[in-house]
Amino acid sequence: MTRTRSPRTKKKPPSKGLNPWLSWAIKLSLVGLVVLAGFAVYLDAVVQEKFSGKRWTIPAKVYARPLELFVGQKLSKDDFLTELDALGYRREAVSNGPGAAAVNGNTVDLNTRGFQFYEGLEKPQPVRVRFSGDYVAELSATNGSKLSVVRLEPLMIGGIYPKNLEDRILIKLDQVPPYLLETLVAVEDRDYYSHWGVSPKSIARAIWVNTSGGKMTQGGSTLTQQLVKNFYLTSERSLTRKLTEAMMAMLLELHYDKKEILEAYLNEVFVGQDGQRAVHGFGLASQFFFGQPLSELKLHQVALLVGMVKGPSYYNPRRNPERALERRNLVLDVLEQQGVATAEQVEAAKKMPLGVTTRGKLADSSFPGFIDLVKRQLREDYRDEDLTEEGLRIFTSFDPILQMKAEASVNDTFKRLAGRKGSDDVEAAMVVTNPETGEVQAMIGSRQASYAGFNRALDAVRPIGSLIKPAVYLTALEKPSQYTLTSWLSDDPLSVKGANGQVWKPQNYDRRSHGTVFLYQGLAHSYNLSTSRLGLEVGVPNVLKTLGRLGVTREFPAFPSMLLGAGGMTPIEVATMYQTLANGGFNTPMRGIRSVLTAEGEPLKRYPFQIEQRFDPASIYLIQNAMQRVMREGTGSSVYNVLPKTLTLAGKTGTSNDSRDSWFAGFSQDVLAVVWLGRDDNGKTPFTGATGALQVWTSFMRKADPLPLDMPQPDNVVQAWVDSRTGQGSDANCPGAVQMPYIRGSEPPPGAACASETPASGESVMDWVKGWMN
Amino acid sequence: MNKWLIPAVTAVALLSGCSSVQRGSIPVVDSGTAVSNSERMSANGGFRQTTVKRPVQGQAQAIPQGDTGVVVMVPGGGAAVSTPISSSPIVPGPASGGITSGPYTPSPVESAPVNSGSYSMPSTPSGIPSASSGGGLSADEQLDGPVLALLTTAQQQQAGGDLNGASSSLERAQRVAPREPQVLYRLAQVRMAQGDAPQAEQFARRALTMANGRPDLQANLWEVIAQAREKQGDSAGATLARQKAKVSL
Repeated sequence: MTRTRSPRTKKKPPSKGLNPWLSWAIKLSLVGLVVLAGFAVYLDAVVQEKFSGKRWTIPAKVYARPLELFVGQKLSKDDFLTELDALGYRREAVSNGPGAAAVNGNTVDLNTRGFQFYEGLEKPQPVRVRFSGDYVAELSATNGSKLSVVRLEPLMIGGIYPKNLEDRILIKLDQVPPYLLETLVAVEDRDYYSHWGVSPKSIARAIWVNTSGGKMTQGGSTLTQQLVKNFYLTSERSLTRKLTEAMMAMLLELHYDKKEILEAYLNEVFVGQDGQRAVHGFGLASQFFFGQPLSELKLHQVALLVGMVKGPSYYNPRRNPERALERRNLVLDVLEQQGVATAEQVEAAKKMPLGVTTRGKLADSSFPGFIDLVKRQLREDYRDEDLTEEGLRIFTSFDPILQMKAEASVNDTFKRLAGRKGSDDVEAAMVVTNPETGEVQAMIGSRQASYAGFNRALDAVRPIGSLIKPAVYLTALEKPSQYTLTSWLSDDPLSVKGANGQVWKPQNYDRRSHGTVFLYQGLAHSYNLSTSRLGLEVGVPNVLKTLGRLGVTREFPAFPSMLLGAGGMTPIEVATMYQTLANGGFNTPMRGIRSVLTAEGEPLKRYPFQIEQRFDPASIYLIQNAMQRVMREGTGSSVYNVLPKTLTLAGKTGTSNDSRDSWFAGFSQDVLAVVWLGRDDNGKTPFTGATGALQVWTSFMRKADPLPLDMPQPDNVVQAWVDSRTGQGSDANCPGAVQMPYIRGSEPPPGAACASETPASGESVMDWVKGWMN
Repeated sequence: MNKWLIPAVTAVALLSGCSSVQRGSIPVVDSGTAVSNSERMSANGGFRQTTVKRPVQGQAQAIPQGDTGVVVMVPGGGAAVSTPISSSPIVPGPASGGITSGPYTPSPVESAPVNSGSYSMPSTPSGIPSASSGGGLSADEQLDGPVLALLTTAQQQQAGGDLNGASSSLERAQRVAPREPQVLYRLAQVRMAQGDAPQAEQFARRALTMANGRPDLQANLWEVIAQAREKQGDSAGATLARQKAKVSL
């Protein structure tokens, strides 16, 4: 941001002599006047040019998803209150006014603040939410009438800043809380409404107060001068600058009315520093210190903010709370003297704590992983200047509640596994998406989630190990005439000679062969031998094609070792791949952004929901069934030590050679999560996919409390009773009979009845294999 | 200081005469959207009046389910109940282990039933023809609660020519009720109106995977697919889809 520097004022020529030189003196002062007038013309142009155009560049603001409320929604009261706290709702006995909430048992009354969304304006309104269990049971207006759906305003989770930038939330005069203007004028410039830019009276008073050593409650500069100083000039301290400032202040007053200058002041004033970001204006200051919109501030908060103007660093309420409190109370005294507030109001306000939020809470912009994703997606469509200057509003799918749960899962699990040697050097990454919408909801790029740096979720390309196996099995299951879940696979050792003469000789994790297994068991137990055999049968290039159809755009060489996940992928790529498995075979490009509005709230761009069918739902149904068996009886079965058996989940563990990478990817109906653990130097870790990443995943799923996976059975899938030992058709009443899904026509012929005479009522084998919509 | 003020004030006074910007503020244009959308909607009366009927109280078909505010019919769900999970015989045989019993996917969902804010599933399919022209829903496709509200909003936006807004509202509905095929059906229609026939077909296909046991809706979805294929120049595919539409009904 460039500031216009004030050019040097021409020195007035010295006048010597008396009467004879009087005419000279007059002439000279005339010249001086003309020079001065020229300078004034110049200053006037400067004043107007900057003030009449776009006054500030505003960084783009990034918002989380707005929390939707409706009856039947799965949302616990605790999560709801977490969201309200993050949004800075005041807890009150009775909710009155926007941004207030009253909790009464299972009922929460609140007044929403309203917000301009892409689809339109959400009005502020009083709402009553009643919870029952972990669900919203009732949603009504305060007069009792039912509301069908209500949206809270979205949490601001960050901005797109260039280095060293001023940031602000623009406010209008009608958005300021009571007392703010009166307090500001009383403390900073009592004659504001009567002077014309400079106030000789206050300058004189300032000099007198300063020289007499009294307590300085008022500076010499008017609000207009302060605005000019911050807005147009550098912080250089000199007489000429002071004079330029005075002239510009008067020029400003000449062209613009008091209200407009005051509004500009409210937005320009510097109130603190947030790292490299300079906090400007009361709008942002209110969010920064209180986590609330400016309009909701109370007298004691207003007094603190106004008091800080004198020395934002000196009176920083987070760093110097005693000083800030003293200053605030001094301001409150002034208000009482000036008759702005009554003695009782001041007394009550003085009893209030400072009320500033602590850093590092939900409301602070501490989600670098997700913001990074948003930035990258935005950079594809916008220039950097658009993002850092135009005040765009970016609406994302970020779910702060799920993010906090993901972070807690990583922290808890590392704490629990701290005893394992070498676990301290292990890094972590995590991606959480909603498989039904393809939206990214949470992201962790580093074990220290608030640490901005290498974003492993997007950039760490690591061998995915057995995470690739669903692609191998899916390739097979797409050929129902050759493969079903109960086809036999050999798990005997094998070796393959590569083109370069090297011999590839895979081994099982337990270094044992498991004889002959059902196809699904190869996946459930993550057997490398049977998987390799199957992959070689269907062809490595075909497996890689399946991988591409699942949404992985990365190219891999068709080596046999690819079948066991030698290829590297990033966690977000893994999420894309599993997303297609979770979403019935429909691929969705990962989205983090929903829409973009201009600073004025006009729709600018939408990132629409897009899907593309890549697989027949029937084969996806089968692979999901096998992936459910991973969780029920295979390598993922430890989840049910923690999670209820009723919660159907599907997933896959992944471990790369020597446990250098510990992966888990899995999903419920509504939540998909990919976890990676490993070292940045690619060293060995003490974790397999099951002992490391799965533990984080399990912890997360327990906190997220998702819906059980429940894919509708496609109409070309049949459930058939088979003998659990032989895989042959069996009657339902036979001992050991189990039901397995098959693509119609591939099921084994029904077996004979064992105990009862009920005839097998299965579908005829002659049934045509129903082609899927083509 | 005061000395300086005098010439400064004079200069200012001089300049005030030739100041280019008018005293006062920059013109502020308050450009809101047209008011007519909702009026037009109520004028032609479409969505709400003609198609929406409250589900009949006490009908057995109303299945309250708390998941996402919608009820998704899971065919064959009953079969799952009969098979207990676990206790599969592990008999030494060719395989190292037997198949663990229990079909996993169509498991009965036992979530806490939460009130009846969710919409109810089709009562008896009646012969009322589906009003596909206005995006209306047939009588066996009644909605309630948040989904209805959002579809209504989308309908109004679409009628007002705001297809992006309609899209956005429908995606919001899709997040609220991801397994409600009607939302995807409407999304497919809006995509068609936006000229995006390939996506229209994709959404209709996705909806079909969730529309088991809802013949009217299936027929509508196949019709969208037929139109989308026609738009893409695939008349054979369109004919095929039209046949499916007839079969569904």
